[in-house]
Amino acid sequence: MSITDDPIIATESSTDDLANDVASDTPAEAVLEELLVEEVSIDGMCGVY
Amino acid sequence: MTVELNQTFSLDPQVSLRPERFGALAYHFGNRKLSFLKHPDLVAVLEQFDGQRTLADALVLVGVDQDRWPSFLAALSTLETSEMIRAA
Repeated sequence: MSITDDPIIATESSTDDLANDVASDTPAEAVLEELLVEEVSIDGMCGVY
Repeated sequence: MTVELNQTFSLDPQVSLRPERFGALAYHFGNRKLSFLKHPDLVAVLEQFDGQRTLADALVLVGVDQDRWPSFLAALSTLETSEMIRAA
């Protein structure tokens, strides 16, 4: 078997694809966590309570 | 403060939820904190809290995909820290 027929080459390629997927998914997940809840304090605001 | 999936929760009795197009506003009349709940699914999960149902059960009942659960755990931990929800 020559080195070009070695299935490990394909595995390495898949790993690269996985790394790209993770890199592209991470920011979206972080944004989702930011968007679910946001807290503010209204202490000091007049006329709201 | 970190919430766990096997915990049970209830909405603090001093908290009022006002529905909004983006989700809801939660206001705590005791500590005067205001939270923007920025997704209807998060509001739906809070509405499942009855002091008996576990958080995992609430997430399943609302139909939240498991890959989104970490985001909900983070958001609910924030809400527990601000006393909007409390462990039963």
